[in-house]
Amino acid sequence: MNIYQPHLMRIDEVVAETSDTQTFKLSFKDPQVAQQFKFLAGQFGEYSVFGEGECTFCIASSPTREGYIECSFKAAGKVTQSLKRLSVGDTIGFRGPYGNNFPLEQMNGHSVVFVAGGIGLAPVRSVIWNVLDLRDQFKNVTIIYGARSVGDLVYKRELAAWAVRHDVKLWTTVDPGGQTADWKGEVGFVPAIVEKAAPVATDAYAVVCGPPVMIKFTLPVLAKLGFAEERIYTTLENRMKCGLGKCGRCNIGPVYVCKDGPVFSAAQIKALPPEY
Amino acid sequence: MNSKSLSLAELAALVRDLNASGTSVVAPVPTRSLCGADYRPITELNQATLNGALPRRSLKELFLPASEVLLRYRLKKNDVELLPVPTTFTPQVILGARPCDAAGVAVLDRVMGWDYRDELWFGRRAATTIVSLACPGFDGVCFCHAVGLNPDASLGSDVLLVPRGADAYWAMPVTDKGEALLARGTFADLVEPAEVTAFRKAAEEKVAKNLASLPSGFHTFMAQSFDHPEFKAIASRCHGCGACAAVCPTCHCFDIVDEPEGMEGGARRRNWDFCATCKFTVHASGHNPRATQNERFRQRVMHKFSIYPQRFDAVLCTGCGRCVRACPAGMDLPEVLGHLYAAQAAGGVS
Repeated sequence: MNIYQPHLMRIDEVVAETSDTQTFKLSFKDPQVAQQFKFLAGQFGEYSVFGEGECTFCIASSPTREGYIECSFKAAGKVTQSLKRLSVGDTIGFRGPYGNNFPLEQMNGHSVVFVAGGIGLAPVRSVIWNVLDLRDQFKNVTIIYGARSVGDLVYKRELAAWAVRHDVKLWTTVDPGGQTADWKGEVGFVPAIVEKAAPVATDAYAVVCGPPVMIKFTLPVLAKLGFAEERIYTTLENRMKCGLGKCGRCNIGPVYVCKDGPVFSAAQIKALPPEY
Repeated sequence: MNSKSLSLAELAALVRDLNASGTSVVAPVPTRSLCGADYRPITELNQATLNGALPRRSLKELFLPASEVLLRYRLKKNDVELLPVPTTFTPQVILGARPCDAAGVAVLDRVMGWDYRDELWFGRRAATTIVSLACPGFDGVCFCHAVGLNPDASLGSDVLLVPRGADAYWAMPVTDKGEALLARGTFADLVEPAEVTAFRKAAEEKVAKNLASLPSGFHTFMAQSFDHPEFKAIASRCHGCGACAAVCPTCHCFDIVDEPEGMEGGARRRNWDFCATCKFTVHASGHNPRATQNERFRQRVMHKFSIYPQRFDAVLCTGCGRCVRACPAGMDLPEVLGHLYAAQAAGGVS
């Protein structure tokens, strides 16, 4: 089997999350592949538009939801702009799942705090639904999510669903100036809202993903709240081509994001040279 | 199998026999400018220049072509048909490979087989028999000895030839494939003669003078020397052109791109790519983890002498010296390594 040969997937549903961000629901065209496909929260894939090329993003749906995968992407480069032009019924390529995963087994039986910014909610969403679909196996669930403006919040239907659940504590925020007249959430940067929400660190894990600057200022807040570096997990994104440890592009020092990551603990990241 | 004696005439007959049986033969062939040689197919031995200079480019492209089709696609309404490419290849014999080039292929087997087996690479590996020719030590920037090899190293070779004067060779089979190749002829057994031993010894002594062997603990020293000022001091000369990586037997970074072939389909290709170029790691957002040339130059040196040894227990360099000869800015890898050796000896991380 040629490891660069993708599987074909059909676009079953398209959700416009923001003006430039979309979510695709995808199913494998080959029933045998569909039946055998398994993944874990945090893993990623190489998605392709034939004629344009491949690009890398996480699987944004939960492994507990079988029979399909979802991905969310922002139209930024050549391939993602082409993806944006596709619609229901179109065919794309997919290679994966690649990389490691969030340590759900370790997190089982504990509280989980999710902190996400912008489209960084996509990989976190996979873990959130994984935890919520097995809700009785976890203690407190806190979700803190922020975007630049109300219009930049992704997964709005799911945010509404989480907001009304009694077994989830949801905080949503937008950057100062990004609020609308009817905005009922917080106004402020994510790290400040994490400080305000002050989730209890005892017996808890944190899953953090967002822009580098958000992660940079959130980690000290979590440390102040008492989260050990070994209990804070994030997922790194570096430019990749193969996803298989061959093309020599995604490494941070001796660590290959595609093979050793993309999920790392804050302790692991601290040991890396600053090339991410 | 015992080692053998091969005359030029016997080697010429072997080339004809291989070609006649559908095995292509590749050997160093003089370039049109007569300045150096390239590994190219031959039908007759006299087309090759076995005892000449180190070929301009390494053997890498015979296993990882500069541009290679990974698959083809045909676009249909709402659908796509994928046309796989074959992963089995016509048999070929590489005759007169330099040991540093053969070693490069063996070193790359490690990453190409890392968990996901690259069938395009290994398909070509399986179809190829490499007959190396021991090197006399080409020039002052050969430093194979420093990275644990030698001008007569057999790593990656199926047969090692050592010249005996101008018109005969001593042939040592290294692998089963090499024995099978030598079994195609009725070559006389020959215990290593004194002139071969003398040739090997002289070449090793010549190359050993160019750069001392990697000091013990060098990989660890490199890993701890990420911010060593030596990198900044040297890297400011690097243009980021990627010539060093193109000629390198072990640089293997690649890009994957789609290239339309008409309106209804095209090819997904992998093309060589170079970590020294400014767009290599840039994100769609514009963020670049290796934003300056210093960082990109450091990555190349680190990948070869720290990262690859840590991951794959092999130095990602065979000391062929091509990067030094090719660099338009006069970057000199042995010189860089020499500076870093000195820094390590002077007390490690500054």
